[in-house]
This record gives sequence, C-alpha cells and structure tokens, in this order.
Amino acid sequence: MNDSTPAIRLEGVTKRFGAHTAVEGFDLTVPRGSIYGLLGPNGSGKTTSIRMVMGILRPDEGRVHLFDEDPDGVRGRRVGYLPEERGVYQKMSVVDLLTFLAEIRGVRRDEGRRRARSWLDRMGLDAWGAKKVQDLSKGMQQKVQFIGTVIHEPELLVLDEPFSGLDPINQDVLEEIVREFHRKGATILFSTHLMDQAERMCERVCLISRSRKVLDGDLRELKAAERKGVVEIEFDGVDGWLAGDGVAAVDPIEGGVRVRLAEGVDHQKLLRRAVDSGATVYRFDLVEPRLHEIFVRHVGVEAAEGAGVPRGYASTLTTGGAA
Amino acid sequence: MMNNVRAVVRREYLQRVRSKWFIFATVVAPLLMMGMVLLPIYFANRNAGAEQRLVLVDATGVLGEGLEFRLEDAGYEVEPRVWRSGLVEELLRDTLSGSFRSFMVVDEETLASGRALLYATSRPSVIRGVALRQAVVQTVLEHELEGRSADVGALLRGGDLDVRVPGRSDAGSREASFMAGFVGAFILYMVILLYAVAVMRSTLEEKTSRIAEVIVSAMPPWHLMLGKILGVGAVGLTQLLVWVVVGVLVSSAGLPAVVAAGSDGVSLEAISAALPSMQVVAFFLACFLLGYFIFAGLYAAVGAICNSDEEAQHAQLPVTILIIVPMILLGPTIENPHEPLFQALSLVPFFSPVLMFARVAGGAAVWWEIALSVCLMAVTVVAVAWVAGRIYRVGMLMSGKRPTLPELWRWVREA
Repeated sequence: MNDSTPAIRLEGVTKRFGAHTAVEGFDLTVPRGSIYGLLGPNGSGKTTSIRMVMGILRPDEGRVHLFDEDPDGVRGRRVGYLPEERGVYQKMSVVDLLTFLAEIRGVRRDEGRRRARSWLDRMGLDAWGAKKVQDLSKGMQQKVQFIGTVIHEPELLVLDEPFSGLDPINQDVLEEIVREFHRKGATILFSTHLMDQAERMCERVCLISRSRKVLDGDLRELKAAERKGVVEIEFDGVDGWLAGDGVAAVDPIEGGVRVRLAEGVDHQKLLRRAVDSGATVYRFDLVEPRLHEIFVRHVGVEAAEGAGVPRGYASTLTTGGAA
Repeated sequence: MMNNVRAVVRREYLQRVRSKWFIFATVVAPLLMMGMVLLPIYFANRNAGAEQRLVLVDATGVLGEGLEFRLEDAGYEVEPRVWRSGLVEELLRDTLSGSFRSFMVVDEETLASGRALLYATSRPSVIRGVALRQAVVQTVLEHELEGRSADVGALLRGGDLDVRVPGRSDAGSREASFMAGFVGAFILYMVILLYAVAVMRSTLEEKTSRIAEVIVSAMPPWHLMLGKILGVGAVGLTQLLVWVVVGVLVSSAGLPAVVAAGSDGVSLEAISAALPSMQVVAFFLACFLLGYFIFAGLYAAVGAICNSDEEAQHAQLPVTILIIVPMILLGPTIENPHEPLFQALSLVPFFSPVLMFARVAGGAAVWWEIALSVCLMAVTVVAVAWVAGRIYRVGMLMSGKRPTLPELWRWVREA
C-alpha cells in the first residue's frame, strides 16, 4: 500500500430504487489527504453515493474501493461516518455512548473513555458526560454524535451534511476539527449544500445533479477554467445593454453589477455592447467565479435553488445597480 | 472481529441490568412473593405457639383426652373441664369478664359431623381455625376407628397415589412434580417471550433512531444481531440464576427455619417433594437458552423488517402464535404425557422449551426424547440464526414499506 492510492475510488457506480435511478455511472476518486466536497441539489444522489461508499447500500453496478482494499475490512476502524439522519442511543449516558462507539471501532475501552472525556471537554460538554443522551439538546446531541464519528481517529472521514442544523458558532467548532484532521493527514469527504462553506473548506469538489456527475476536480483549477464566465462592471449611464443575449444573470454589487455570462459567450461582446449603447465603463473585470456561480452555470437555476443557493445569487436578469 | 460483538453484548447487558425494572423483577419481586407466602405461615405458627390458654369442655366423655393432646400439639395451653349443666353460661361470663379469651365445646354433634363450638373474644386466624378443625376431626376419626390400624393423619392429608406403569422406568411420578412442570413451563414461556421481545424492541429502536447506520458502518450487521441476542440472553440468564439461587436458599435454609419455628404446621418432606431436582433445574436452564435463541432470532428479524411499534405489533403475530401454541397444549400434555401425539408435539423445536420441559419435570420423558429435543432445538437455533441474520442484514438498513413474504424469501436467498 503506498500513499498514492486514493482513499476512495468509485468506478461506474449505479444504484436504482425500483424504476428510479438514484446514481448513474458515478466515478469518483478522492486522493489521500484531500478535503473533498460532494455538492448537489436535494435528491441528486449525494446521500445514496455516500451510503454506497459506506457499504450501507450495495451498488447495482460498479465497484467501491477504500484505500484499494476490501472495503468491508477497512470501514470499521479506519473510517468515521456521520450519516445524514442522526441517531444516538437516547437512554445511554453520553460517556458510555462514546466509549461504545469507540470500542466497536477497535479502541480499547479505557482509552475510549479517556478520549470521550477529553473530547467532551473540548466541546464544552464536560458537565454532561454522566447525563443521559436524551437529556441533551438537539445541538448538543449532534456534537456528541460528531465526537462519536471521530473518536477512533479515523484516516477517512465521510460526513453527510455535517453542518446542517448547527448554529454558526458550533459550525465553526466542527469546521475547525475537520481542518485539524485534515492537517493530521486524514482524508475528508463531505456532502453539503452550503456553497460558501464548501468554497471555504474544499480543495476539490464534485458536483452532481440528477443522479449524474456534472463537474469534478480541483476547486482552484475549476475556478480558473471558469474565469471567463463572470464579469464585474462599474459604469455610468444607460443599462439597457445588460438585458441582451448572452447574459445569464445580473447581480448588483458595490458601485456596479456582477454579470454571469451564458455558456460560451465572449465577454468582449458584452463590453462592445456597453460602449455602443453609450454607457461610460469605469471598470470591466473578469473575476473568479464563486462556487455557486459555477454550480448554477452547470446545473441550471432551478436545480441550484433546490440546493439551497439563495435566490438573489441565481436571479434571472435584473437591471439596475448603476449609480 | 469478536471485539465489537463483545462491546454490543456488554452494552445490552449493562444497560438492562442497571435498569430499575430489572432490579425490581429479579430481586425485589421474588423476595416480595416469598415474603407474602412465608411470612403469614411463619407468624401464624409463631403466634400459635404463644397462644393463650383454651378451655376445653368435653360433653362427650370420649374426645377430651385425645383432643387435649392434639390441641397442645398445635400450641395451645389446654384447660380441660368436665361438662355440667350451666357450665357454658358460666364460662361465657368469665370470657366476657376477661379471665380467658376462648373456650371450645365438643358434644354429640361433634361426634356425628365433626362440628365443634368455639366461643372466642375474637375470630381465630384462618390458619389457626384450620388447625383447630383438624385437631377435632382427627380426634373424632381416631375415636371412631379405634382398634383399627388406619393412619388417620395420612388419610386426612388426602392419601397418596403411587403410580407404576409396567414396562417403564419412570415409576412414581408424583403430582408435586407435575405441579413443578406446570409452573416451570409457564415461567419458561414468560421469560423466553419477555426477552425475545426485548430483542425485537431493541432492534426496532436502533432502526428507527437511525443509529443502526452508524453501527453497521463499523461492523457486519450479523455481529450486531449476535451481540444483541447474546447480551439480552445474558440478562435473562442472570435473572433466572438469581431466581434459582434465591429458590435454593429459601428451600434449603429459609423453609426449614420457618417450619421449625412453627409446631405442627407444614411438613418439610411435603415441601421438598414438591421442589424440582437439580437435573430438572439444569434442563430448565437449557430450555430457556435454546428456546430464547430460537425466538430471539425470529423476533430480531421481525424488528428488522418493521419501521414502527405499531407495525411490529402486527408483524410479530406469526411468531407469537408459535410460542403460544405450546401454552395451549400444556394442560393436555401434562395430563397425558405418554400420549404419542403429545410426545411428538413436545419434540417440535418451537414447542419443546415448554412442552418437553413439562414432561421432563413430570418424569414422563425418557432420556432419548430429552437428547433428541435438545439436538432438534440446537439445529433450529442455527437455522433460525442463518435465516434471521439474512433478513436482519437487509431489513436493518431499509426503510419504507414492510416487505411481503415473497420479498423476504428473496432477501434470504440473495443476501
């Protein structure tokens, strides 16, 4: 086993539920030590894909590899999994639950107990260790479950919507822990519909929509490749030229507008149109697109909104913004 | 691999054993029950000994001496008086004035029907009433049968039926052991059902709370099922062992003490005859374990295919019928343990824990039947585990509609 073998490799994975195809011909390679974001609207197949990685569902076609080994032998000890639907033993004490979760993944009991206490300290839950899980608030339970996911110090973290339902402060706490595992060399695959967060955290992203992979790769490279697509313009005068062909969306920004061009449209064309119409252009700047812009560009507005992209970002043509 | 099974076993075991319910059902309830049975006997016997004097008026001229002896045996300090006219009125006045609290009159009526008159400032306790009545009747019978060799005491205890079946070795199966068979079979039924259903509930809880997904990502579902069944079974075994130990302690130390404290209440031999032998206790525990493994597997599968308590209520019916049928057959089987039909039914692995145990406790089963039923149950345990394990694996991670029987069969075949 050498370090160049990917942590996760999916080959042509397909899963059907009756007549509905949830995931179709999905290839994914998650290199070791990377933070990989799995993005997509609701119902696009994120959770089904993750469940196949975790061996909870068996693919109808294709294969799943973890560290290029037999996945069943690896999952228990080397992988930490946080499912989308959270579950805990309500009647156990917090420390007992965490010790149990550590133990079934091969951590010795006394060591599991020690780690449970130190994690609870870190999460500000030290006073709750002896309490039953059902006495904790939902947010606290979610933190406890997160501890349960990482308590055996896995090499690979598979997190399905890890930050949903948490307040911003706790989101930051969890985000920092994920980063910490990444710094220690762990591989992280997580699904999210929070584009900002994915943009902040991920080195690589994979966009899926309608059961298929749309885009996959290094986030910076993706952005560079999409650079032509977004222009920030500061101008004076009429703005009717903004409403023409080739403009997919216009959003107001400080002192001007941010324009997303339709696929394959040359930005020069837009600049010419602006000048021809008599507007005074102060700044015409090709900028790096935000992740959500790339996303919208590839999956369409409706799908993107289904994924929780705020309406304003994906707005259809609006005029205005000029000062 | 066994580490995670052990963790599941420990979790199931500790969670349950620590619960208040378990402590109550295992330790407090049997003690309460014993107390409810033993304390009244103990106090009745003790108070019987401390009984104040009883004036005995003999109007027959023949019962007095024998009755005085018997009453003293039952713990009374007897003061005999010879009957004369006006004595009863005199004694009544003395009683009312408090010189003594009770006196008994026996007369011709007593000789004819065994009825005696007791004048007392307060009603005697039921047990004391029985003791007084027995003393009177025994004395009357002894008087009437005088000169013959009849054992009045034995006759009054209801005699004895010594059954011998020619050509069989199990001579002398007594009613007492049939009683043990009935009670034991009933306890087996209760405990097997209780703990097998606990496995179902626990499975269902893991499924509905979605923690199954986390655990199954860390171990094969089969390990989870195995650990759960072993853990819950260990709780049941603990409970039965506590009961057996308490039973042995009570019967070996407690009962003789109680009996000895009284004068002539219960006979110790009668009680020990009613207690099951060590072999029967061993077979009882074997029946619990094998029966529990069979039904725990079935109920685990039921839990795995359901999504809610209500659904489980319906889905468990076929399994529940399997465990209730032998309870319906229990009475007839105990009555006719040698009937070929019941012999055959008691060998059916799902029925054996109840029916074969009842026949064994009644001394009606021969060794090869016992051996065969244990083998059949063991084979069934393996078969059920195999089928249930497959259903469990698919069902645990599945949500939505409950599978139909053909679908279940496909799971078993394909898994």
